[in-house]
Amino acid sequence: MTPLAGSVALNLALGFSIISIVSLSIYTSNNDERINLLGHRSALASSFLVFLSTFILSYQLMISNFDIDYVARYTSFETPTMYKISALWAGQSGSLLFWLFILSIFSVIVILQNQTKHHKLMPWIVISISVVQIFFLVLTNFITNPFKPTDTDFVIQNGNGLNPLLQNLTMAIHPPTLYLGYVGLTVPFAFAFSALVNKDLGSLWIKSIRRWTLISWLFLSIGIILGGWWAYQELGWGGYWAWDPVENASFMPWLTLTAFLHSIIIQEKSGMLRFWNMILIFITFTLTIFGTFLTRSGVMSSVHSFTESSLGPVFLSFVFFLLIVSFALIYIRKDHLKSAKKIESFASREGGFLLNNVIFVVLCFAVFWGTIFPVVSEAVRGTKITVGAPFFNQINTPIGLILLGLTGVGPLLAWRKTSNEKIKNNFFLPTLISGILFFILMALGYDAYVVISFSLCLFVIIAIYMEFYKGAKSRIVRFNESFFVALYKIISKNRSRYGGYIVHVGIVLMFVGFTGNAFDIEKEFGLKKGSSEFVGDYEFLLTDITEEERPNHYAWISHIRLLDSQGNIVEDLYPEKRVYFHENPDINKRQPHSEIDIHSTMNLDIYSIFSAIDANGTAFLKIMINPLVKWVWIGGYVLVLGTMIALWPRKEL
Amino acid sequence: MASILGYSFIFFFTIISVFYVIQPLFLEKVKYSVDETNLSLKREKTILYRSIKELEMEFDIGNIDKVEFEKRRNLLKNEVSIILKKLKKK
Amino acid sequence: MIAGAVCVTIFWISWVTIFPSDKTAMSMFVSVEELLDKQISKRTKLGGLVKTGSIQISESNQLNCDFILKEGESELSVRYTKTRPDLFKDGAEVIVSGQLMNGTFYADELQTKCASRYEGDLRNENNYKLTELVQ
Repeated sequence: MTPLAGSVALNLALGFSIISIVSLSIYTSNNDERINLLGHRSALASSFLVFLSTFILSYQLMISNFDIDYVARYTSFETPTMYKISALWAGQSGSLLFWLFILSIFSVIVILQNQTKHHKLMPWIVISISVVQIFFLVLTNFITNPFKPTDTDFVIQNGNGLNPLLQNLTMAIHPPTLYLGYVGLTVPFAFAFSALVNKDLGSLWIKSIRRWTLISWLFLSIGIILGGWWAYQELGWGGYWAWDPVENASFMPWLTLTAFLHSIIIQEKSGMLRFWNMILIFITFTLTIFGTFLTRSGVMSSVHSFTESSLGPVFLSFVFFLLIVSFALIYIRKDHLKSAKKIESFASREGGFLLNNVIFVVLCFAVFWGTIFPVVSEAVRGTKITVGAPFFNQINTPIGLILLGLTGVGPLLAWRKTSNEKIKNNFFLPTLISGILFFILMALGYDAYVVISFSLCLFVIIAIYMEFYKGAKSRIVRFNESFFVALYKIISKNRSRYGGYIVHVGIVLMFVGFTGNAFDIEKEFGLKKGSSEFVGDYEFLLTDITEEERPNHYAWISHIRLLDSQGNIVEDLYPEKRVYFHENPDINKRQPHSEIDIHSTMNLDIYSIFSAIDANGTAFLKIMINPLVKWVWIGGYVLVLGTMIALWPRKEL
Repeated sequence: MASILGYSFIFFFTIISVFYVIQPLFLEKVKYSVDETNLSLKREKTILYRSIKELEMEFDIGNIDKVEFEKRRNLLKNEVSIILKKLKKK
Repeated sequence: MIAGAVCVTIFWISWVTIFPSDKTAMSMFVSVEELLDKQISKRTKLGGLVKTGSIQISESNQLNCDFILKEGESELSVRYTKTRPDLFKDGAEVIVSGQLMNGTFYADELQTKCASRYEGDLRNENNYKLTELVQ
């Protein structure tokens, strides 16, 4: 399999995608089933050719064919096989091909699944997907071709090798997870677009995309959490979220998609909010393209990407193309999107959802604003103002807390309207208990945000508990079941609702973890062997420093004994200072790396970094005490569990 | 040698994919025959049944009062009966 | 009510943009030349290369580090007293944030060119680990 085959396959794929669009447009006016079949088949053929070229590139990475520029840049003979494959999405052109690869998988699934189920919608669904496919095919064919031959006049003996920071299991699976989420959103977008073109405003297609939307949401969530986890474990600055443009790029579509997941329930139930939902799904999809643009073009001088590339203008044009076409279509169809019904009362589930939607979108806008602010200020005032994490934290903390509060209020409100008596009954217990917590924390003198956050967390947990309790109790009364059977039944019979509540519990736990940030302690100091230093309530004793040579790096290991205030040994920590490529004669090619060590409990994480060692044998350490961080990861697991429950298949429609 | 193999591989998948795509043009002209309205009616019926069940659960839990519950259940039942009539006609 | 919520949050976003509570929330990105010309004493952010051979680490405290930041022709001495990122070395591309005082730039943040952009120039033979290249 020559690399040329990969290139040719990409060329052909582009051709077939164009044929598919042309023939399906013809079909929509002449209704000749042969043309329809031709259109579908060329979309399928295009997808299979993308598979082929992806496999060829993976194969070339595996056999280390350094005649291909991409292979030489991102791998070397020594790169472990697993990371040779993950190099497929380590660089720009490979990751774009990988995007395309996932899109092609989804395209094949959509075509095979919905041929008869959504016969009328299919042509425009396939056209929409093909347009996206063409965009990425143009990029990989003409702008950044992954099969480009190496641009040297000498034979390359070995490639650059993959960065050691990326040689990490989390980092190997983090991009594909995010991409699955990003790319998965093409499908709801295509359905929505087609429904709008076909003036199909029924709720059937919405049911069909529910799973796609939820699966995309799940992958996006996992991707974001994994990114944070990796930053926390590997980057060694002690945090998991820095409001970097690349992080924001994945967070923005997550926010609008979360809003969509809520508002679509209202559309399913009552046919309201059609207009709004269309806008939300179009914006979400555009944000995924915009996110890929932010990650891959390097317009933002972010930690992730400094270098400029030729990709920027093309991506930006596509973003504008999507926005213009989508909004023009919404405008043309605006009369069809009007719904007869109006929300009856704001004290209702619908009212709560609507407010939640508005706040999600506002939050997304705040993040967007902070992300593009440097570019805007440079364009408008000529000076580039960079925006740091404190800006985002200040803006988003109150907005996030309002959302947290709504998570609790929502389940307490009934659909359509809630009577005053109901409001009194439902709100009494959670308000009382969380109010007590509020005053206790106030009396203890905690910071206002901390007090509000913890009280709201408790409020939400009680509200959700009441929902589970009421549900189970109704079954106990009606079917005379035992409590646990009733609980199991009520969940399994209403998976999306109770799964959703479990996701909310996960979010609450994550908020507990975020609130822990307010108590972070940080200290940097130098220690000689045998001496110690106090940070917070802990003593850090340097017992030894050892050195070790390992296959691909050299390591200095500091042995730190962690003692509590009574002098009991808690744990021994071994943060390392490593130098990768330590045998390289060129000193600039050697790459230092700090391997952190963490003592992690439910209460707090003790995060140790070995920053430097001097000639006298003094070890310089950075210690951080980060309370409650573990709850962020626990919340992540609960979130995944809840989504899985909601996704668990039931009888297909 | 390797390049000959490579070129024939390229030739091979190009021919196969082109043939696969244009093959429908050699078929007889047909019109789509599956009755989509029937299918969608059936699906709508299932959705309505689910809504009724959910409504009953809401009532059991105590989220809505009896008057409201009966009003909404009757609405849903009416919709079901309309769909059932349509399905019978087919 | 929706309109109210939108107005309040728009107001909030503009408020924070104009009056950020933390001085590190926003910093002006300027060139070294501009900083020296105008002697800007506000908090700024600078980009440039670490001048080769300029890194001086204090004997008494390894965390104290002085180096010279080069941007084009302009040079500026920088002091940084926190844990240095792993990729900080001679010739590294860095971004520093801080304030200029008496001709020295006191940086409280130092970022290096990120590792995920690990792209050597393939044209340069010196970029290979194994240097035995066959012509």
